[in-house]
Amino acid sequence: MKTLAWAIAALVLATVPLIFGDRYILHIGTMVGIMTTVALSLHLMMRIGQLSFAQVAFMGIGAYASALLTMRLGFPTALSFLCAGLLAALLALLIGPLFLRIKGVYFVLLTFAFSQIVNLVFQDWTSLFGGNNGLFGIPKMALFGYRLTAASHYYCLAAVLAAVTYLTVRAIRRSDIGTVLSALDENEALGRSLGLDALSWRVGIFTVTAFFAGLAGSVYAHYLGFLSPPAFSFWTSVDAIVMNVIGGMATPLGPVIGAILLVPLPELLRDAKQFQLLAYAAILIVFLLFFRDGIVGYLAKRQRATS
Amino acid sequence: MTAGLTLAGVSRNFGGLRAVSDMSFETARGEIFGVIGPNGAGKTTLFNVIAGVHPASDGRISFYGKEITGSRSDRVSRLGIARTFQATNVFKEESVSENLRRGALFGEIHSPLAFLRRCFAGRAPAATRPDIDEIAAFIGLADQMGKPAGSLAYGLQKILGVGMALMQRPRLMLMDEPAAGLNPTEKTVMAALIARLRDERGIDVLVVEHDMKLIMSICDRILVVRQGCRIALGTPEAIQADQAVIEAYLGADYEFA
Repeated sequence: MKTLAWAIAALVLATVPLIFGDRYILHIGTMVGIMTTVALSLHLMMRIGQLSFAQVAFMGIGAYASALLTMRLGFPTALSFLCAGLLAALLALLIGPLFLRIKGVYFVLLTFAFSQIVNLVFQDWTSLFGGNNGLFGIPKMALFGYRLTAASHYYCLAAVLAAVTYLTVRAIRRSDIGTVLSALDENEALGRSLGLDALSWRVGIFTVTAFFAGLAGSVYAHYLGFLSPPAFSFWTSVDAIVMNVIGGMATPLGPVIGAILLVPLPELLRDAKQFQLLAYAAILIVFLLFFRDGIVGYLAKRQRATS
Repeated sequence: MTAGLTLAGVSRNFGGLRAVSDMSFETARGEIFGVIGPNGAGKTTLFNVIAGVHPASDGRISFYGKEITGSRSDRVSRLGIARTFQATNVFKEESVSENLRRGALFGEIHSPLAFLRRCFAGRAPAATRPDIDEIAAFIGLADQMGKPAGSLAYGLQKILGVGMALMQRPRLMLMDEPAAGLNPTEKTVMAALIARLRDERGIDVLVVEHDMKLIMSICDRILVVRQGCRIALGTPEAIQADQAVIEAYLGADYEFA
């Protein structure tokens, strides 16, 4: 009953930008959907105690893969979309067994280096990726013979992707996989002594998160029709991390709230552009000092206190 | 005598240090096998080599005819060798019953592929409610099931560790200093529990322990280790009478209580 009420509330909230129909609001809504997906992909990695800069690289790989498969090889966009996710997942499956042996700050640095390398390839392999001039003329997406041209179409697509990702992450965390993930984070040695193949689980989760990040990249590419490497830079990873910190990591709702709050921020501060980074930093400091568990954690604590 | 765990010439080096040196022994089916030795003798290293935490530098280990040399701890566990830890090691935030459930769950869905296989085979989970209740009753924690494991007394947390290991349905239980940190009453309970593992559930036990009284009272045979080497192996009576053991390990004047 409560779940139903929440679902209806979310649905109503999601239709608001459609009712306004303002192109600008729809743009922000679409970006919220895309970044929610990326932040959720990072969320699962953080649940196993691995802060990953690779998720945004997977998003970029998905974006360029989807664009190039459509433009160069003439793939139908629906197939390119699926391939974007699968290619990112395949890459995660290949590098995962190497990367995920490493933990803590070393893993952070390793994935940071990986994302930098991926970004450099986008920048310097100009004949394929268009370099810093960008890749232009990415066709609009067509799903089931229906061409997505309007901003509202992409808003719906991004919202559905974010919702599917959210429900998947939630289902994973509530299943026995969630138990495995929390055990890996909490006490890996004990989990292993009880038979858990820790590495294979980390690789499995890495692969799933890469799949969703790749899909987010594909939506991004076909929505904007234009790609350039800075979109998948270090700063996008920082955004995804901040979304998780501000929203909170206790439940998958955290990164969703984080994305809803954070994505519009640069737009809201557009008139005070020089203060944008400052405001960003101030918000982050406040959360790190006073709301370490994020908004979700804070609300849960208050609920416990009143009940 | 059926050989259970078999070590043949097992060594383990850490850099230049040889922590375990050319160790060979066999445990028998249904045996409680003790390992003793002074601090730094290499008992814990030996334990970790068997449990797959550290690979052996040399030699071979097998278990009921199956080669396990070089297997990682999770695989060793799935082959029927469970272990307990020297300090308490439980999922502190989770309830006692959830801790027990995890004991069986993690072996069953040890990897994503195993999880998918379970989904498609539609098999019933390994840890059913009656299994968990049965083990809880066996270890005497049936009335603590809902409590967070971290809130239990130290001794009970160690008992819970034995229960989690039992949930794996092992053939052999490796126990790393089960009595360490326990008060005399708890030690008695633990000693009785170890004996019941073998008597009531037919599990072989290999126990590393400092407490002489406990080791002498429950073990069928005892291995004495010093500086990584085996210096004696025999029944408690034989070990207590072994002059080399008394001199090397306990000091010439020591008398067994």
